[in-house]
Amino acid sequence: MSPPVSIRVSDLTVRLPVYGVDSKSLKKHLARVAVGGSLGQAHHGSAEVTAIKGLNMQLKAGDRLGLIGHNGSGKTTLLRALSGAYEPDQGEIEVHGRIAPLLDLSLGIDPSATGLENIRLRGRIAGMSSAEIEARMDEISAFTGLGPFLAMPLKSYSAGMQARLAFAVATAVDADVLLMDEWIAVGDADFQKIAHARLLSLVERAGILVLASHDLDLIRLYCNKVMRMEGGVASPVTEIRKLDKLLAEPLVANA
Amino acid sequence: MQTAEHMLRTGRRGTGHEFTLAVADLKASGARLGLSWSLAWHDVVSRYRGSILGPLWITLSMAFMVLGIGFLYSELQHISLTETLPFVALGIVFWGVISLVIIEGCDTFVLASSMLSQTSLPIFTFVWRTVLRNIVVLGHHVVIIVAVLIYFGFWRKMNLPLAVLGLALTLANISWVSLATAITSARFRDIPQIVTSVMQFSMFMTPVFWQPSSRSGLMHLVLTFNPFFHMLDAIRSPLLGQAPDPMSYAILAVMAVVGWAGTFATFVLTRRNIVHYL
Repeated sequence: MSPPVSIRVSDLTVRLPVYGVDSKSLKKHLARVAVGGSLGQAHHGSAEVTAIKGLNMQLKAGDRLGLIGHNGSGKTTLLRALSGAYEPDQGEIEVHGRIAPLLDLSLGIDPSATGLENIRLRGRIAGMSSAEIEARMDEISAFTGLGPFLAMPLKSYSAGMQARLAFAVATAVDADVLLMDEWIAVGDADFQKIAHARLLSLVERAGILVLASHDLDLIRLYCNKVMRMEGGVASPVTEIRKLDKLLAEPLVANA
Repeated sequence: MQTAEHMLRTGRRGTGHEFTLAVADLKASGARLGLSWSLAWHDVVSRYRGSILGPLWITLSMAFMVLGIGFLYSELQHISLTETLPFVALGIVFWGVISLVIIEGCDTFVLASSMLSQTSLPIFTFVWRTVLRNIVVLGHHVVIIVAVLIYFGFWRKMNLPLAVLGLALTLANISWVSLATAITSARFRDIPQIVTSVMQFSMFMTPVFWQPSSRSGLMHLVLTFNPFFHMLDAIRSPLLGQAPDPMSYAILAVMAVVGWAGTFATFVLTRRNIVHYL
């Protein structure tokens, strides 16, 4: 019997090395090696930004966590770490369940390919097998509402049509853990309504949602837990009804 | 709600641990080789999108190049076409694979940056994508090789298994070079320029078009220390019914082992940071 859907993050620290335009140049690097001691000591290695410091959290199936915090507080880095793209420098991340990062709708989308080809490609990237994609093709096509346009290249679509397609494919995966950077709002009013319903059902089906947003109303609407981040430090995971209290308290003791 | 999928990411715990994680990445890419294949296939198809002949252009443009250079060198070197054309055809086709896998290696991670920065796809998936893409292209060139070998009668005296061994050893070698250029190009943006220049220079230093007439003096040096000569020799000579230098296979095998060891060690040390290079 496989374990239930869950996320466990313990003592997570993520540092982002910043390779400036200069340090990408081989000449600078070689010069630094050649000069060695004097100049080398001061400038060796690249600058590092500690994006997340000692973060702990536990989520279980049914948890819908809202991440709030100012720009640069580490929300996106946390989402990327949860998606498996960024590795922890310290601590551990353990996720049971199929992860669907909806951080960027345009992921794996090729504008010169047709709508159908894009559905296949994006589905493969999301971890579906060719057979799975073919089996769900009708459902996905119907959901886009693009009909005959699916046989045409994506670049001939309007921005809204492209967004419809990207959204349909990105949300076609049977995911257990859904990671979102801002709530996805695409297309015209009609489509927004369908998209909204789809996201809700996805959230219900998915065991866990982690949503980073600046929109507190949205968080109140969709989430039952909330976590506030500030300068890479996170508050404990809190019940949504204590949101006001969470906002009132300073996170860092001496801040 | 139950699930079989599991992801565990841990902090730095020394080089031994990093090695285990690098091997895990390699294994995971093997398990999802189908994805690399889909991406590679998509790359080839999109390159020829909108053209009437489609990927058939790969075959056609190569055929013209082979014919042109074949005739030219047959005139220049006063050697019969029977001798030049098959030599040149095989030379250009296999040189194409070697140089493109290495040069396109430079873009492997740069082009995959959006996927690397928000999914847990294995890093090796994109290395195999580059290699497989060029194997698909080679598949289109096989038509030319078969045509030439049949037309000039080489199919009767060729040693196919030995040529396949040569091709396998060559692929083993260019794959690690491709990984090496991928990592270094992501970190240092001068590397693609250097790689392109080196490959251009090597094309003239390697008997791709021209036949090595003597192996003395400088020529001997060029041929012995040129790894690309050994790759071409190991594939081409058996197809032309000539005896290849047995040393070529030994050199390629040793180079593959040493090269993979060195490159994989680099991968072990840089794996975590590759996504941050981009």
